[in-house]
Amino acid sequence: MWTMSDNRANPNPITKFLVVGLLGFTVLHSINHYLEWWVISIISVMYFLNGLGKEGIKNLAVFGLLFFAPGFTQASQFPIIIKMFFALLFVLRMFYIPFAAGKFLIKTSDVGSIISSMDYLRIPSSVSIPVAVMFRFFPSFMEERNHIKMAMKIRGIETKNPIKYLEYVAVPLLIISSNIAEDISKAAETKCIGNPVKKTRYVRVCVKPIDFIYAFAVSAAVVGGWLCLL
Amino acid sequence: MSENKLKIRDLVTIGVFAVIYFVVMFGVGMIGVIPILFLVYPTILGIVTGTIIMLFMAKVQKPWALFILGMLSPLLMFAMGHTYVLALHAVVVMLIAEMLRRVGNYKSFKYNAFSFAIFNTWICGSLMQMLWAREKYIEMSMMMGKSYVDVLEKLITYPNMALVYAGALAGGAVGACIGKMLLKKHFEKAGII
Repeated sequence: MWTMSDNRANPNPITKFLVVGLLGFTVLHSINHYLEWWVISIISVMYFLNGLGKEGIKNLAVFGLLFFAPGFTQASQFPIIIKMFFALLFVLRMFYIPFAAGKFLIKTSDVGSIISSMDYLRIPSSVSIPVAVMFRFFPSFMEERNHIKMAMKIRGIETKNPIKYLEYVAVPLLIISSNIAEDISKAAETKCIGNPVKKTRYVRVCVKPIDFIYAFAVSAAVVGGWLCLL
Repeated sequence: MSENKLKIRDLVTIGVFAVIYFVVMFGVGMIGVIPILFLVYPTILGIVTGTIIMLFMAKVQKPWALFILGMLSPLLMFAMGHTYVLALHAVVVMLIAEMLRRVGNYKSFKYNAFSFAIFNTWICGSLMQMLWAREKYIEMSMMMGKSYVDVLEKLITYPNMALVYAGALAGGAVGACIGKMLLKKHFEKAGII
């Protein structure tokens, strides 16, 4: 059986998903500010290890901005519109830590490894097939949407009325998508995806040292962060 | 019985419609940039996505199809950093929607419309997160002045959330009716259903 295990510095999607879930708790139960920085730094280091240095720096910069911006004490004197803008920053700030881990999960996991992980976890095909189709269909969907917009432009159809717009864009889009769904299911049937036998995957999912390091470093920060605030 | 089981064709349709739903949801979600509009977001989402889900329900009239479709978006949002509250809330909402559809034998428009109205309330889970994380949000907003915090405390309350849920149900019902109209006008003619 020929398989390919992915990058050593890239934890498997299951670990990354668990980390996102754990960090989700920090929205409702705050952790110590220093440890928040610790978690963000771990995610940035992971980006660097996976050759996405730019994303790592962006991650630190955005968190820095959100961390210091709400400390702007003069905000109370500003007009309501600016206050609303700050309110949005607060919401972003609250969700940023799990969001950063989620972004890392999505940026560094390919479809093959996600599907293999779902196989590994014995997730039924009624869930894994729609997820695989979502990844396959997403680019086609964007392409078709642009085609419809271009066709509208060529025919000189312009409408500002949102209900008309919904009809003009959504109806052809849904019809095309239904036809694509038919095509994908025919292709899937041809490839025997419905056959309930064990599948061979190109990407093998296994537990590597980096999985333990990533999960342990984040868990320690979260648990330590809660203990600090007790 | 085996006729009623989800086949590859149905699973592929679920994946395709999940993408359409997610993209539209994300597009409509842009209104959340203006914080007050966040409260009417579920209503608008119901009106806009009614056609998509009603078409899906007309195409796949089998048990658990709506439940799986409905769980994909919350799971994707969970993977993008939302809390477990959203996912748990969605499971409850989708189970109710699925049961309602079952009562109507998956074919009745009335029950499908009810089911969609309930389905549409899953997005309220994202606002419920705010309600449960209220203390933290208010604490962070303290530096904006007492008057602002007072307004905020009045805004993020359970009765107001009930209004958001009511809006989501109403938006879902309107969306289902628009969906039915468009199905009759376009999709039946095109042979899609």
